[in-house]
Amino acid sequence: MRPRLRLVAELAGPLSLVVVVAVAGSAMSIAQQGNAINVLVTATIVVALYVFIGNSGVWSFGQISFVAVGAFAAGLLTSPTATRQTSMPTLFKFLATTQISNTESLVLAAGLGAVFSFLAGLVLMRLSGLSAGIATFAVLEITYDVLTYWDKIGPGATTLALVPVTTSMTVGAVGCGIAIVVAFAYQHTRSCRLLRASREDPVAAQGLGISVFRHRLVAFTISGGLAGFAGALFVHELGSISTGQVYIDLTFATLAMLVVGGAGSLWGAVLGGMGLGVVDAFLSNAENGVAFGSVNVTLPNGMRVVILGVLMVVVLIIAPKGVTGSREFLERFLSKRPGRAGAGNKPGGSLAGGASVADDGSQAVPSPSRTQS
Amino acid sequence: MSKSKSKLNRSYRRRGAGLLVATISALVLASCGASTSSPGGSPSTTGAKSPIIIGAVIDETNTMKPFDVPALNAAEIQASQINASGGVDGRKIVFKVYNDQLVPALTRSDAIAAVSAGASILWVSCDVNFATPAIQVGLQHKLLTIAPCIGTDQMGPSLFGPAGKLAFSYGNAPQSDGAVLARLLIQHGWKTATVVTDKLLTYFTDVCQNFSTDFAKMGGHVVSQLSYTTGDHTVTQVASQAAQSGAAATVLCTTTTPDLPAFVTAVRTLGNAKPIVGPWAIDGGFWEPSNPAISTNIWWSTFASVFGDDPSPQIRALEAEMVAKGEAPVTGGFVTGPAAVQGIVTAIKDAGGSLNGTRLAAIMQTFHDVNTISGPVSFSSTYHTVVGRPYRIIEDTAGKPHFVEILTPGPLGS
Repeated sequence: MRPRLRLVAELAGPLSLVVVVAVAGSAMSIAQQGNAINVLVTATIVVALYVFIGNSGVWSFGQISFVAVGAFAAGLLTSPTATRQTSMPTLFKFLATTQISNTESLVLAAGLGAVFSFLAGLVLMRLSGLSAGIATFAVLEITYDVLTYWDKIGPGATTLALVPVTTSMTVGAVGCGIAIVVAFAYQHTRSCRLLRASREDPVAAQGLGISVFRHRLVAFTISGGLAGFAGALFVHELGSISTGQVYIDLTFATLAMLVVGGAGSLWGAVLGGMGLGVVDAFLSNAENGVAFGSVNVTLPNGMRVVILGVLMVVVLIIAPKGVTGSREFLERFLSKRPGRAGAGNKPGGSLAGGASVADDGSQAVPSPSRTQS
Repeated sequence: MSKSKSKLNRSYRRRGAGLLVATISALVLASCGASTSSPGGSPSTTGAKSPIIIGAVIDETNTMKPFDVPALNAAEIQASQINASGGVDGRKIVFKVYNDQLVPALTRSDAIAAVSAGASILWVSCDVNFATPAIQVGLQHKLLTIAPCIGTDQMGPSLFGPAGKLAFSYGNAPQSDGAVLARLLIQHGWKTATVVTDKLLTYFTDVCQNFSTDFAKMGGHVVSQLSYTTGDHTVTQVASQAAQSGAAATVLCTTTTPDLPAFVTAVRTLGNAKPIVGPWAIDGGFWEPSNPAISTNIWWSTFASVFGDDPSPQIRALEAEMVAKGEAPVTGGFVTGPAAVQGIVTAIKDAGGSLNGTRLAAIMQTFHDVNTISGPVSFSSTYHTVVGRPYRIIEDTAGKPHFVEILTPGPLGS
């Protein structure tokens, strides 16, 4: 009974948070609703990051590439063709004339993200550690340069404008929910469990015949698909996109959210994405002045970044594995059974806490670092 | 061990719960509603007529601050002078300012907040890429949407389609920037040029392309075309090639830091003392190397001289007022702010006091040599960014920039 309850909680926790943000956001002013929608979209990106980084333990700085590809594809093909042909006269003809619906653009973005990440992953997933991180960063750079300078496939260095704004609160919440469900479903597959085992001890995993490359590639592709999907939500939230918006700033902001929440669990990704997103939105508003009853508080310009930085440092000092300790929602509470191994056995296990693949009953990878009483 | 696990468990739960509570609290607090400053003064309480609210969504923190803030400060001074003399047919001009920090989502929500706060006109940042989320909100609500100093011709129908009829910039179009630099070189007898383009911004590429075209039409000859991207660490190699090109002048379309000082230093160090010429983007002089032998024979075009020697008494007075308030402008772009206010007021008066965006835009599009503090302003159905306005030419000699002359670019394509 308990394992089933744990599974329900593992999914219900993040989804509940989505509902809380959506409901609270809907009660706000129209201007503030935009901030709440942005929190949901950002959390979707963080979930996409988690699917690869959290499960593989490989830090990728390139996932925003897939967000960018999804955003530009969805934005371009839903913008008015007449304006496209005048403001982007150098576009390939099929890009200048093809028009798709907003829903189709979400599917297309997810597909493109998955295909692009699969192709990139064929090369990158053979690398590990710092090399893999640098290589993924190179993918980000290449994507940025191609999108900025190749004006046959997009607006180039200028802004892509007039994209339909369709990411409402409901669409944002449903989109984020879909990403969570996909991430949840994936982390309970055999492939993901094997990937987690390889994360804790790659040598032992390979010794047991686990193809680290293949399972990383699967995670990378699913992550890329979700990132592309999030990119489509992003462009339909803002109504415009330029390459600078899907580059280094967004990369580090979303990585910071994942780290603060707890990179080893879906709950950590969602809580980090939404928690920091909300704090960020609040501080941004506070720089313009926030009313607490009759008292108006205005933060000095630039304090948003300072406070966020300090907050992140403090959180990471107090909780190096993130505020959730890289545990799933209520995981410790629901899995407390005598003689049972630690949380690392479960899909939501800690990055540093070790793991085995015993959950699916097929294999077990002992990890010396996880020896516990 | 199990006790310590239990403690750990509680600790994690507390942390998670804490962040959850903080999340919900922050959402609730944020929903209390952001208030905005209105440096232009509070809405009129003495007159019966409602104020004209301009919602300014600009950057007061990030890289556009040096452009957005001086333009807004000068605009507020202009507005306060208009208010002091009775306002616009008795209506005061009030700025409601939002700091978008160049965060796209915030830029959009700030613009929505400005509209919700009753703004009849939207005022946006001086970079079209950063400003687009706000511009689209203005266009969606059919508001006259003004940028004081966007320097591309995209602020209008060319980027925003038919809805862009409501969007205008009081900056100069790159076609004008290129043309005036071509005229400067020809006028001084510099008949050959090396053109160096920084690919960082479309604006730089546009200015250098327009310069090259106009320069050739005027009888000049471009010896070589070079390029780099600010921050790509190739600037000294490019400077070396430029220094040895043998051209009478080097035309450089870039921004000030971090690469411009390195470029100038490299060119001079290689023994090339010929003129280095650039557009408004290199205005200010603050970036120049301190060695007077290096910081010499450097020329640029701008809206106004910020070195105390502008030929216009109006501009000198405005600059003095800004200096007295501790808001000394860094570049001549500050005059685009009051020019935009003057343009808005002219349009409102011509519309009989109407604030209808479509009506105001239709009037503004017909502006032909409308007199403003920045000089005559003209728009057309093609150009919603100013073309043909006279420029100030600044020359830097031994590290001391000074006004040289006023130069008009002439009709485009001439």
